[in-house]
Amino acid sequence: MAEQKKYWRGISELENPEMVKALSEQEFPDQISNEEFLGNKESLDNTHTSRRDFLKYMGFSTAAATLAACESPVYESLPYVVAPEEIIPGIANYYASSYYDGHDFASLLIKTREGRPIKVENNKEAGINASANTRVHGSVLNLYDATRLQRPAVNGQESNWSSLDKEIKAGLAKAEADGKQVVVLTSSVLSPSQKKLINTFGAQYSNFKHVSQDPFSYSEKLDAWQEATGKRALPMYHFQNAKVIVSVGADFLGDWVGQTVSSDYAKTRIPGKDMSRHFQFEANMSLTGSNADKRYKLKTAEHGVLLAALYNEVASAKGASTITGVKSSMQNEAKSIAKELLNAGKESLVVCGGNNKDHELLCIAINDLLGNKETTVSHKTRTYLRQGDDKAFKALVADMNAGKVGVVITHNLNPAYVASGMGNIAEAFKKVPTTVAVTMKYDETAQISNLVAAENNYLESWGDFMAADKHYSLQQPTINPLFDTRSFEDNLLKWSGLSADYHNYIKSNWNNNILGTTQWSSVLHDGVFTASSGTPVMDGMMEDLSSTSGLSLDLSGVGTRVSKEAKAIKGLEINFNQLTGMGVGTIANNPWLLEFPDPISRVSWDNYLTVSAADAVELGLRHWNESNGALNGNLANITVNGVKLENVPVFIQPGQTIGTAGLAVGFGRVGAGAVADKVGVNAYPLMGAAHHSELKVEAVADSKHEFACIQLAHTMMGRDIVKEVSLDTFLSGPGKTESHDGWNEPPRFETHKGALTSEDANLWDDFDHETGHMWNMSVDLNLCNGCGACVIACHSENNVPVVGKEEVRKSRDMHWLRIDRYYSSDVTTENAEEKGYEGIGLFGKGATDMYADMEVPSQSPEVFFQPVMCQHCNHAPCETVCPVAATTHSAEGLNHMTYNRCIGTRYCANNCPYKVRRFNWFEYHNNTKNFGDNYSMNEDLGRMVLNPDVTVRSRGVMEKCSMCIQRIQLGKLEAKKEGIALKDGDVKTACQSACDTNAIVFGDVNNNQSEVFKLKKDQRMYHLLGEVGTQPSVFYQVKVKNTTA
Amino acid sequence: MATTNNIIVNALYDDDDILLAGVKQVREKGIEIQEVYTPFPVHGLDKAMGLKETRIAIAAFLYGVLGLTTAITMTYGMLIVDWPMNIGGKPSFTWGENMPAFVPIMFELTVFFAAHLMVWTFFFRNKIYPGCKAQNPDPRTTDDKFLMEVVATGNTEELMSLLKQTGAIEVSVNNAQHA
Amino acid sequence: MHYEAPIRKPLIEGDKSYHDITLDVVRPVESSAPRSWWIVFSLALVAFLWGVGCILYTIGVGIGTWGLNKTVGWAWDITNFVWWVGIGHAGTLISAVLLLFRQKWRMSINRSAEAMTIFSVIQAALFPGIHMGRIWLAYFVLPIPNQFGSLWVNFNSPLLWDVFAISTYFSVSVVFWYVGLIPDFAMIRDRAVKPVQKHIYRILSFGWGGKAKHWQRFEEVSLVLAGLATPLVLSVHTIVSMDFATSVIPGWHTTIFPPYFVAGAIFSGFAMVQTLLIIVRKVFSMEQYITIEHIEMMNIVIMLTGSIVGIAYITELFIAWYSGVEYEQYAFLNRATGPYWWAYWSMMTCNVFSPQFMWFKKLRTSIMFTFFISIIVNIGMWFERFVIIVTSLHRDYLPSSWSMFSPTFVDIGIFIGTIGFFFVLFLLYARTFPVIAQAELKTILKSSGDNYKKLQEKEDHGDH
Repeated sequence: MAEQKKYWRGISELENPEMVKALSEQEFPDQISNEEFLGNKESLDNTHTSRRDFLKYMGFSTAAATLAACESPVYESLPYVVAPEEIIPGIANYYASSYYDGHDFASLLIKTREGRPIKVENNKEAGINASANTRVHGSVLNLYDATRLQRPAVNGQESNWSSLDKEIKAGLAKAEADGKQVVVLTSSVLSPSQKKLINTFGAQYSNFKHVSQDPFSYSEKLDAWQEATGKRALPMYHFQNAKVIVSVGADFLGDWVGQTVSSDYAKTRIPGKDMSRHFQFEANMSLTGSNADKRYKLKTAEHGVLLAALYNEVASAKGASTITGVKSSMQNEAKSIAKELLNAGKESLVVCGGNNKDHELLCIAINDLLGNKETTVSHKTRTYLRQGDDKAFKALVADMNAGKVGVVITHNLNPAYVASGMGNIAEAFKKVPTTVAVTMKYDETAQISNLVAAENNYLESWGDFMAADKHYSLQQPTINPLFDTRSFEDNLLKWSGLSADYHNYIKSNWNNNILGTTQWSSVLHDGVFTASSGTPVMDGMMEDLSSTSGLSLDLSGVGTRVSKEAKAIKGLEINFNQLTGMGVGTIANNPWLLEFPDPISRVSWDNYLTVSAADAVELGLRHWNESNGALNGNLANITVNGVKLENVPVFIQPGQTIGTAGLAVGFGRVGAGAVADKVGVNAYPLMGAAHHSELKVEAVADSKHEFACIQLAHTMMGRDIVKEVSLDTFLSGPGKTESHDGWNEPPRFETHKGALTSEDANLWDDFDHETGHMWNMSVDLNLCNGCGACVIACHSENNVPVVGKEEVRKSRDMHWLRIDRYYSSDVTTENAEEKGYEGIGLFGKGATDMYADMEVPSQSPEVFFQPVMCQHCNHAPCETVCPVAATTHSAEGLNHMTYNRCIGTRYCANNCPYKVRRFNWFEYHNNTKNFGDNYSMNEDLGRMVLNPDVTVRSRGVMEKCSMCIQRIQLGKLEAKKEGIALKDGDVKTACQSACDTNAIVFGDVNNNQSEVFKLKKDQRMYHLLGEVGTQPSVFYQVKVKNTTA
Repeated sequence: MATTNNIIVNALYDDDDILLAGVKQVREKGIEIQEVYTPFPVHGLDKAMGLKETRIAIAAFLYGVLGLTTAITMTYGMLIVDWPMNIGGKPSFTWGENMPAFVPIMFELTVFFAAHLMVWTFFFRNKIYPGCKAQNPDPRTTDDKFLMEVVATGNTEELMSLLKQTGAIEVSVNNAQHA
Repeated sequence: MHYEAPIRKPLIEGDKSYHDITLDVVRPVESSAPRSWWIVFSLALVAFLWGVGCILYTIGVGIGTWGLNKTVGWAWDITNFVWWVGIGHAGTLISAVLLLFRQKWRMSINRSAEAMTIFSVIQAALFPGIHMGRIWLAYFVLPIPNQFGSLWVNFNSPLLWDVFAISTYFSVSVVFWYVGLIPDFAMIRDRAVKPVQKHIYRILSFGWGGKAKHWQRFEEVSLVLAGLATPLVLSVHTIVSMDFATSVIPGWHTTIFPPYFVAGAIFSGFAMVQTLLIIVRKVFSMEQYITIEHIEMMNIVIMLTGSIVGIAYITELFIAWYSGVEYEQYAFLNRATGPYWWAYWSMMTCNVFSPQFMWFKKLRTSIMFTFFISIIVNIGMWFERFVIIVTSLHRDYLPSSWSMFSPTFVDIGIFIGTIGFFFVLFLLYARTFPVIAQAELKTILKSSGDNYKKLQEKEDHGDH
């Protein structure tokens, strides 16, 4: 199905493939040189080419070569007859759009070059924070995935649309005749127009159902809210207003109920009097947990009783009725935290994870008692990112098995994969005469459906969304469909016999129901629209907003249920989660995302069962490193809900709650594409509706799994790498802005002039960096939550190669920007004394042992994230050692890398204290044999994603972060054209614009209006490894933890 | 010096000490020694023959100076004048500030020039070059024999007997011109 | 005039005349090679060709075929480079420094020592070349304007200093060696009977005739070359050590490196000379020229330099502790107790402990033991460079980037290949070149020859 497709690069190639091929070999046409042609007299005589012909040929060859040289992404392209004025070669166009794949939602700007979408940027105009995460940043690559469905298929045979439509129409008619159900099965539908369309489509059939099911279901949460408010929709959470945040198993920074809260959360994390305090109870080590001020390890099974205990504390204080007979293992914690919540009053927030009605009810109750309604929990504005209904889905499966269903049309959902734990979908599908999969891949569901409608990529189709009340956004195509595909909505229009195309359908729908007086064109430009008043557009979604005053909460029986639940799991407990890079695996076939190292485990190209060190010993599972450092681990066979999964790699995870294990979904695909199908194990069959259940593990004897873990040492070894202070110290402690005294003491050297900082203790008179620009970057370690969006953004902006699992195992990952993750260790240089380490340790316990023990991360570690890119040192060790001056310093404080000049001695990389330089060990592009997985550099189609402004580096060359020099140059050019000075924020690096918490700020420190200038003066500012005296242009802001004294 | 009508007398010795004594005697007689061929450097021979001190060492020194200047002009011209760059913040404003980094280069080029040019001079002055025909009249003089060429201006027999007395094992006359 | 104190042992044993020396030196050249030679030669050749294969593979596919990674950018390549350069020190040192110090015992060994120098520098010079990611652009390191305009080299870079140091050292060693060879070639030429052979040696000997004036210049040139070569020898390894000393990596950034490297170089160089000469004297039965005396002398040098190196190691550790720099302290702690402890302790055992045996005259005059130690020392010196390069790099400043190194078959193959290449060259040399500077040696026959010394003694007794 996914065989290579041949693209014409123009009519000429169709007519004369050989010649164009020959010409396209070299960029410029080889014209016959005059010497060659005219020099040889007699050959000139017996040639019959007149000068006119000669010119003609030259003309053609030039033209042909020019065609060959420009890779036009459009399926059958002709050279522009009249060039569209919006496309100017070399100038990027940005289109506001949106992303929704049934799981992730984001408002975006799509950057296109010569008509090719090449980069995803956040749309900062968006009313609600719907900024792109790693997956969405990577999604642009999936557009150019050659393993996408390229035309519809009927009964497994490639076919055409007319015959597919015929089949479906027949199927529908038959179902109607037999009085069977016609079902549209989707994930949560955010689109008003799509919803409308589905209804119009359904209206034609007497027995129509539309069922929503989320790939990672929060159905019971919705039930709870339905019970409480009468509306089956989740509230919008406002973390920015919360002073005390208590999360019981909710990984809201990683993946939770769909709403993107990271930037709101970041707003409360700015150090100061009103910095929030964040408590986290969880089983797995999650991204959220690693950012918490205080993290408690707690089995998910016991989350219920904890919430109950918390509720009791709050309730008793508020004089409300308490739940009797619940006993949490963490009563005291509950007590003290309840106190803090009550102090915070309405500036508090309690959230919980999991797919459990009782837990959610308790949360609703606690928040209600705390009175934080509309401050942190908005009932008036509700989000629609999760609407799935487990009951409805189970019912549907039952109906299918009962043969009551005539037609099933699936879209944005891959039930055969994501719902494989909730019933035998394959069997159910067999019982349905007409099964239609509207999908981009020949995936698990497509394989069991008899009709496959090849779907557009989101960059090829129209769409609209209402992620939350009043918050609308548009999705507009940025390129013609690459293949013979059709969007879901166009299908529906066809199948319901409507002639209109979806673009006009949306337009009219918006003009009639949404926009009011606002102009369509302006909304199209912004991509987002916030309605002044909620107008009903989606049935079942939003009605009258005023009727959300009262809450009807019935907590009877909750106590007994949660207590029962707490005891339910005897042995180990497995918690299903999602990895930051993969989510639920919707766009799995993406080498960028697969090579993205998980923020916590730093493992790429895998999912794995995370267990605590203690349990690992218990179960006889271990880790070991090969002589080249590559990490290996044991395999285990696991059984959950009677389903057995064999040979699951086991990863020993510090911070994993003892007695629990974690396993990420989204891997072990079949039919997702050549790259993804090899990777990981499929956890879905094990996962029912609940996100946790009982687990049986047996180690596979002398088994070995090869991990691609790019970090071998996990602790800071007592070094001042990530500086951290407690909030108290930060507020009370001395810290003058001028000389960073007190808690942010810079390293000093005793000289004859007294103690000097490395900047002052300088033997050289320096180059002038006061005039012109001086680019600096600030990275705030308090705002960075390690999500890694910047890493992928950098990947796609700078054409960073993907090297594959084997090379990553050899520590040869190419990321220009990495996010180091450190765990705290139980042994520190401070407590070494009392722990009895003395002397160097030749005899007895000493320094040697201390360092050895420091390498072992604590079992309840603090976690630190630190993005590290080239520090652009002004006294760069790398520059002096290059024999050929291939890396030199710019007048603007940047460390330049001249690829052409580099001969690859690797001396610079050795001499880099930050180890940010990356060497091209092999030819990573046009090397399909060894690096075919990296299709963004090894396939004609994939290469279209490359950023034309950035060279693809050749073998044997050193590369590294350039601070997006291409963007800087562009910015300066624009300013020059307008004849004005460059303003702060005109130039944003890829990582900066990808960071929705503003942890990364880039700018000109010679411009004292710039944000980075202020940040450089900030008392939290410090240079990484300042004592080495490299004088970096990148600086960090001390991490402040809001810990209780 | 040796003219065609002159007769050359070869005296062959088998010991360096005897040769040396012989050379002294012949010189005392005021007889001109044209050339002496020895298998190894015989100490004091040059003095005995009254050869002038060689000035090749002086040449070597001058070559060294040349090398040093080359190094200085090269570093100055390339990194200070033609293309001054900010390399790791090292001050490249004047040659002097950047000089410490150039010391190794300066030293190496000094040695390089001195050594090579001196050896070339050595070959040139000795008129020896690859494939040049053997300069010694008697192949034994590279093994263990020592040969003295004397120009017989006056009575040849007298001279030959004199040479015999000095301990030459063979004394022969030849008109073949060497050197 | 040829007087030398009778207590000095004779440097030439047996009842030798000038002619005997000639015969002994010329014998290997005129006789045909023994079977043993052919066996060893073919072994070396095979190793050499294997190495060539590995090098071509590397150049064809990429440096990725080696065991290197983003943290450890140099390992076996530069280790081998420094190792071979180190070995390449003894030759010039023996002929130059000992010439300046008028050490007569050098004469019977300096020719082979110099040959060894040149051949090992050839091996060393390979590595900076093939370790480049884009060797086809190696000419970028030459101070020539290039196609990108007058883009010059970076004279601040120790790697560029290496380019100059190595090329100067190599070329000067070659001319030094060759100038000394000319009279000996002339000798072979004059004895040669086969026309082809005669012709070849005529070309090689530059038509040398041994005129008095020429000898005068000859000696002057040798002296001046020696004078130039002596600081050169010291400079080469000093500069090589600066590759590391001028960097910022803990364990590299060490001011003690220059003297420490030079001492190490002499140490390993003499060890290699021992290894080779013990074979040569046996194979070509030159026991009477390369005497126990010579071997003992060199053993003493080995013992001395070995101890210097030992002190350097200990000083490093002390300074690391005394500096109070945590990175520095950890770097050295990690060397001794980290994942590569075995490399560190092999180095210590081989380089610091083993030479101490040379304090015992019995051991330092035992051929077999000397041979054994000479091998041990060279193993140890290889590990020294490995320890310095790899264990410093693999755990530097940021733990997040720490990694490990393990060689691939290509790394190993290339190293073996250079050893093969070295022996190919040396064996060819031993069959075709005068392995002893006979002209020079003849000048000391009377002063240090066994027979003449006896004569001398008789005369003295005769006096009273």
